[in-house]
Amino acid sequence: MSMERDERIARSTGTGGSATGVATGDDRGDKKRSVGRRKPCKFCADENLKIDYKDQALLKYFITDRGKLVPRRISGNCAKHQREIAVAVQRARMIALMPFAVTGE
Amino acid sequence: MAQMRLGSSRDIPGRKREYETIYILRPDITNEAVGLVNTKIRGVIEAGGGSLLKVENWGKRKLAYEVQKQMKGMYLFFSYLGTAGLVEEVERNLRLTDSVIRTYSVKMAENVDPATRTSDVTEESFAKAATPRPDEEEIATGQANLRAVFGDDDEGAFDFEEAVFGSDDDGPV
Repeated sequence: MSMERDERIARSTGTGGSATGVATGDDRGDKKRSVGRRKPCKFCADENLKIDYKDQALLKYFITDRGKLVPRRISGNCAKHQREIAVAVQRARMIALMPFAVTGE
Repeated sequence: MAQMRLGSSRDIPGRKREYETIYILRPDITNEAVGLVNTKIRGVIEAGGGSLLKVENWGKRKLAYEVQKQMKGMYLFFSYLGTAGLVEEVERNLRLTDSVIRTYSVKMAENVDPATRTSDVTEESFAKAATPRPDEEEIATGQANLRAVFGDDDEGAFDFEEAVFGSDDDGPV
């Protein structure tokens, strides 16, 4: 019985997803797979997390080391919260809690 | 005083708007001068028919970038309720003050019922907002007056002998 199972496994591995010969989306650009399941928005998941421009400790996760805003597809935020983060970071920049730009030193 | 700005049609009469104002003072300012600025702003808010909700002093923080040739500044945070036009008055007074290097105001909410928001500000907490805790640099270089912050607390001194050897009048085993 285990022999049959091994055979089945051996047959099914190999070309990913196109054993039948049909061209699928994944198959075409195998060098750049899609990200897969999007990670959920932190703020939608947790109701108690508030976005506050004064909260530099929370906002620093949403800027790069150069001080630029992290794009939504990386941070995983939903559109609404990404807009709120952007506004909060811009306000924090105005009161010198966060930098506008960081030169790489 | 200039004519107060007319409110918008969205304003429900009897309700106020909630604002937050943050201003940054020069780091070399004395505590008395901080208290003076705070009192002046408090006066402006109350004269304009507003009510102060919260006053905080975040102490001397390192600024993310240079502001008026300074790398550090003392942050003051005011949260208050007011009607239209009040924040203009507050900011105008702040910008006239020399020791204020930056000021920023945000409207947080509209049509807030003033009865529901109680003020967190007492005389003591207001006075305390003029005397922030010393920041790390001051503690490290010995400029901080730690005794003023922590008080004369000799009872809490660590007694080495008692800790290691125990005292003679330990309770019954």
